[in-house]
Parts: sequence; structure tokens; C-alpha cells
Amino acid sequence: MKDNSKKNAYSRFFTRLLVLVLFVGVLDFTAGSILRYFYFKQQSGLLYRTTYALEKTAEDVLILGSSRANHHYIPEEFEKKLGLSSYNAGRDGQFIFYHYAVLQSVLKRYIPKMVILDFTSSDLRDDSRGYERLSSLYPYYKNHPELRGVAELKGPFEKFKLWSSIYPYNSSIFTIAVGNAEFNKKRTEDIKGFVPLRKEWNRPLETDSLQEALKIDSLKLYYFESFIKDCAERKVKLYIVNSPTFRKFSFPDPYIALAKNIAATYQVPFWDYYQDPAFLKNEGKLFSDATHLNGKGAVFFSGVLINRIQAEKDVIGSNETK
Amino acid sequence: MIFNSIQFVIFFIVVTSVYFSLPHKYRWLLLLLSSCYFYMAFVPIYILILGFTIVVDYFAGILIEDAKGKRRKLYLVMSLVANVGVLAVFKYWNFIAENFGFLSTSLGWGASLPYLSILLPIGLSFHTFQAMSYTIEVYRGHQQAERHFGIYSLYVMFYPQLVAGPIERPQNLLHQFRENHPFDFERVSEGLREMLWGFVKKLVIADRLSLYVDAVYNNPDQHNGPTFILATVFFAIQIYCDFSGYSNIAIGAAKVMGFKLMTNFNRPYFARNISEFWKRWHISLSTWFKDYLYISLGGNKVSIPRWYFNLFFVFLISGLWHGANWTFIIWGALNGFYLVFALVTQNLRNKMNKLTGLTRVPFIYKTVQILLTFILTCFAWIFFRANSLQDATFIIKKMAGFKGPVWYENPSMLLYSFGAVLLLFIAESKQEYFRGSISLINNKHWLVRMAVYSILIIIILLVGVFDGGQFIYFQF
Repeated sequence: MKDNSKKNAYSRFFTRLLVLVLFVGVLDFTAGSILRYFYFKQQSGLLYRTTYALEKTAEDVLILGSSRANHHYIPEEFEKKLGLSSYNAGRDGQFIFYHYAVLQSVLKRYIPKMVILDFTSSDLRDDSRGYERLSSLYPYYKNHPELRGVAELKGPFEKFKLWSSIYPYNSSIFTIAVGNAEFNKKRTEDIKGFVPLRKEWNRPLETDSLQEALKIDSLKLYYFESFIKDCAERKVKLYIVNSPTFRKFSFPDPYIALAKNIAATYQVPFWDYYQDPAFLKNEGKLFSDATHLNGKGAVFFSGVLINRIQAEKDVIGSNETK
Repeated sequence: MIFNSIQFVIFFIVVTSVYFSLPHKYRWLLLLLSSCYFYMAFVPIYILILGFTIVVDYFAGILIEDAKGKRRKLYLVMSLVANVGVLAVFKYWNFIAENFGFLSTSLGWGASLPYLSILLPIGLSFHTFQAMSYTIEVYRGHQQAERHFGIYSLYVMFYPQLVAGPIERPQNLLHQFRENHPFDFERVSEGLREMLWGFVKKLVIADRLSLYVDAVYNNPDQHNGPTFILATVFFAIQIYCDFSGYSNIAIGAAKVMGFKLMTNFNRPYFARNISEFWKRWHISLSTWFKDYLYISLGGNKVSIPRWYFNLFFVFLISGLWHGANWTFIIWGALNGFYLVFALVTQNLRNKMNKLTGLTRVPFIYKTVQILLTFILTCFAWIFFRANSLQDATFIIKKMAGFKGPVWYENPSMLLYSFGAVLLLFIAESKQEYFRGSISLINNKHWLVRMAVYSILIIIILLVGVFDGGQFIYFQF
């Protein structure tokens, strides 16, 4: 009798649990499918720019990097002066893992002529930056096997969480709604991926006097080197650039030194504008904050960079002629 | 292993399944071993500290019970000194050394105390207080000494409440380890329901609000008064959902296995005065301080000035219990001050209420009381959350200035946060004021309940913050 009631309790529990799993499964699939439909229906905005970078780019020049890439490089300037179609695929808060994933998706479709990778210390530093926002790759997880390895770096259980159809769109519902709204379709938020910053930085030049010890994330190092190797293998001209900041440093950044060494090993140009006096002398007029150039700064910086690329091309060209 | 992790979900499923498949006589051993594993998942070596207090209090309990006369008190004092000593070394030593150094420099003594390079063992204040309640209760004769070392260890280490409470009393918990808890469908469902609501509070509300709160409080020089006000209100909700969410998960997990832990929160932001707030907030700690400190000091059965002192002192110590930092001490002192001030001005406030006629409109009167209590609590939270006293005073000055627009990184940051607050407000208002009306989560039709559970799970997947990390109270 006692055994029967125990069995009944268990069977009742597991029946209800099964019903709950079914309910959740149906709701998850339905809501996830709706979110997916509207996610990929977007034609502008931050999320669309990622879709474009991963699935639609066909440009000769691609700019990759964090927010510093996104706000510092003007594709139209590159197009005008180099005569090569360009797109800025930089994304706020993203570091080497994301850049590597974008590169893989691009290389699967075509081979760009030139890639500019904007380097920051967080591309090598042992910190959580770089892992945090990898969820922005989750909407592409199912259809892009080439980026799954990178997307799963966020945590050991991510691949299981991604069984859910909703999870890839976690915390994106408002952004997706805005991306599909009429007013968003009408506004021009970016120019070929480039998003200019409008503010002017009115604070005095700060000196950072902390001496940072080198603490490398071995995974980041691996993906940084893989990025360089993959470009070399596919004969993509790669430039690694450290764009300007409005800060003085008492001690050299060890991550920049390391990145320079790695770039030199693979004979890739590494151009460092981190402490370039040309950008520091204007009392912050070229900056939006201490780490980001504003629109005016981006025009100036893009010009400087393009001139250097042209100069290098001329040298290579003349060497090839000889 | 934190509750809001996949590791915990797997751990819970495995432990609970094995628990119900084992005969009753072996279950304590399973719970003890799994609790050790749970604790060691944080910093394994610190289990030795826990082990030390367990051994001390286990023998102290037996010695107190067996002894007569002054020896009983001696054993109690020895046990309390050992427990408080562990707290003093691991939690307060560096704070003492820092303040001694400051005092010594100011007075020109030139002496200093060495700093210890140690991490605070997780949940130390919680299990130390729970262990202390055991020896005190044995001394008072309210509890028999536990002779089974394994059962006593489990009392201190029971994993659902090991690292952040509720701080249990031996009379409530110890005997439950000896009782058989067969699988009961209703009880298991209730436990899981409570856990689910705890996860919603933590992942959807607390961790969402923490994104805004951290961005503001960790960069005070970049923000203005209105932003600090919003961040402080958000912090009040965040800490409530973080801690009460933890308690829900703890109570629910224990309930699934047949254990009844004490209620720790009772919708505190509906309190109409600070005294009521403390009867609704972190109840297991408030009652601990009442039972073991406030009453020992004489409670309210002393002269009026001494009564006020007792109240203030208990809250000061409560502040210190939370953390070795002046911000926590000020927070405790402020709450003590509120209580004393309320007592001193009781008659005056009653007269004013009569004069204004506010009491004649109960709805407005209650609303004003709730709002005032919330504002006072929020003001105290500034000290609790600020990274330093300097930050706290800077933030208060900025709030007083009340200049500039509210900051946000992007509109969705605010939309999700307000959505989370609204969800909590609806749920808590329903429980506070409309308990008898139709309930969705406790609906008599199981299909309706299933639909509600599913929707809550979908909400977690849709807007839950999965990288939120630790519960705030783990640090205490």
C-alpha cells in the first residue's frame, strides 16, 4: 500500500515534469522562431551590422576590432583614396575572439584584399573582456559551424544552453524591436559600418602611472596568432593598428610590445598610434572620451593611416618593379 | 558553486535523486558529503576552518550539557571565543590593522599591526552565527546537546543554507535530520516552485538591476544626482531580490528534500516603519540579534536611555557583521538611529498625524508611511553599496544637487530594469494585498500552474542575466 502511494507520487511528479518540459519546449520554439525571424529581418542597427559582417560583406577592405575600430576608421575615406570598397566591421565591447569569428565567416565566403585589425590590450590581457559579449554570435550559432568553437568559449555549458531557441536572443528583444521599427529604418546610424562619435572631450590629458604586469590569456594569444596565420595563408594583406588614445602612459604597455613582437615574427606591419603626439596636442578636440576618437578625429586618423598604407604600397610597388 | 549556475542545477538534481533513492538511515551521510563538496567548490582549504568550529562547538555542546554550575558558562565562553576569534581573524583582522595603523600614525605612536594575506571564507558569518546559536541554546537548556557528530556537522553544513542562511536555530533544524522525509508530491512541487521564483528574482531582477547599479556606483565621478537616486532605488530592489532570491532557492531546495527552513523575508518594502522593516528583512539575522544580543543586554526591560543604547548598539554590531568596512558600520548605525529617533518622536508624530488628519485617509497615510520608510532605507543603502565612505558622501552631495539628466548606456538598459521592477511590484503587491484573490502560480488547476511555470522559465531565458555572478551576501 505504502509502496503504491510512493509509486503514484513519483509517476504523478514525472508526468507533470514531462508536461512542463513540453510546455517550455513549445513556448521556447515558438518565441525563439519569432525572435529569429525579426532578428534577421533587420536592415539597420547594431545587430544588423553583425549580420552584414558575417553573411553579406564582399568588400575589398575590412576593418575589424572593438569600439575603437568601429569609431576610428572611415570606410568612405579608404574607398576614395585607395579605390577599394571598404566596410567597418568593428563592434563595441568585442575583442580578439569575435574578430576571429568574423574573419572565419568572411573567409568561408570570399577573400578580401586587405584586413585592418585594430588592436587593444584586452585582445591579449587575461581578463573577462572578450568572453562577456560572445553571446552576440549566438544567433549565428546554428547556421555558422565555423564560429561555434569561438562562441562556446563563453562557458562550458553554453552549447547546452544553446539547445534553447530563445537563449541566442537573450536580452535582445528591445534591440530587435527597435531594429524593425519604421523610424530606425529611416535613420542613418552608420556609414558602411562606421559610427561616428559626436562629443568633444573637454578634460585635460591624464597620465596613467600604473605599471601593468604582463598577464596573458593563452586562449586570446592563440586566437590572435591564428588570426594572423589565417590571413597569411589566404594571402590577405593584414595591418595591425593600435589607434590613438587621449592618455599619457608613464610606462610602456606590455601587451602592445608583445603584439608588436608577434606581428614582427609573422612579418605583419604593426602600426602604433597609441601615444602619437599628433593626436595628443589638440587638447582632446579629436576625442569623444579618453579612448575614442570623435568624428573629426576619425577623419584625421583615417587620413594618416591611408597615407601610410599608400606609402607602403608605393614602396612595395617600386620594389616589385625593380 | 553558486545557486545561479548550471553546476548547481546538476548538483541539485543528482543529490536529490540519490537522496530519495537511499534508505533514511544513510541520508544524513549523503547530505553531509554533498555539503562538503558544495562548500569545497569555492575554496577547498577553508573547509578546515569550518571543521575547526564544528569540532569546537560539538564538544562544547556536550561539555555544557554534562557540566554543572560555573563550568557550563566557562565552556560556553570558550566556544564563543573560538567562534568570534575565527571571525575576528578571517574577517576583521585587516580592518583592525588598517584602523590601528591610521590611529597610530595620527597619534604619532609609530606602531603597526601586520596585515594578513587571506581571503574571507565564503559565508563565514552565517555558519559561525548558526554554530553559536547551538551552544547558546544548549547552555540555556532549550536544546539537548547533539551526540551524533555527523548530524551536528550537518546542522552547520547543510548545503542549502550553508553560505548565506537562513541562519537556523538548533530547535528548528537539528531534529529534522533524524526524521524520515518520504517523497511527497505536493511538498516537492512547492519546493521547486519556490526555487523557480528565487531564480527569477536573482536572474531577471537582481542581476539586471546590478548592471545599472554597478555602472553608476563604480564610477561615481562620472554621474549626477538624478542618476544616483535611480541607481540607489535600483540597488534597494537589487539587494532585496539578490538575497531573498537566494533564500527562496535555499528554502525551496531544502523543502524538496523535506526540510523546513525559517522564512527570511516578508516583503520588507511594504513595511510602514523601520521597526517593521527589520521584522520583514533578513528575519533569521534580526531574530538572532534579538535573541542572543538584544535580550542579553536587557532588551527594553531597562531604563529608557539604556533601552535606546541597546537598540543602537545591536544595529551597530549588525552593520559590522555585514562587513569589515566603515560603510557597513555607518549603515548599521543609521538604522539604529532611525529606530531610536522613531521611539523618541513617537508622541510628537502621533500629534502631528492627528493635526493634519492624515490618519483619517488610511490609504494615503499607509502609502506615505511606506514611501518614507523606503526613502530612509534607500538612504542607508547608499553607505552599504558605496565602495568607500568618501564615495558615499560624494554621492549624497551629488543627490542633493539634483542636476542633469538620468544616465543610461542605451534605452534598453532602463527598459529591462523598469520591467524587472514592475514584475516584482506586481508579484509582491499581489501577495501583500490580494492574497485571497485568484492566484496563477498557486492555481488549483495544474495546467494553469504549468503554464505559469513555463512562462517564468521563458522569461528567464528571454531576459535573465546569465553572467551575473555571485550573490551579494556570499561576501559576508
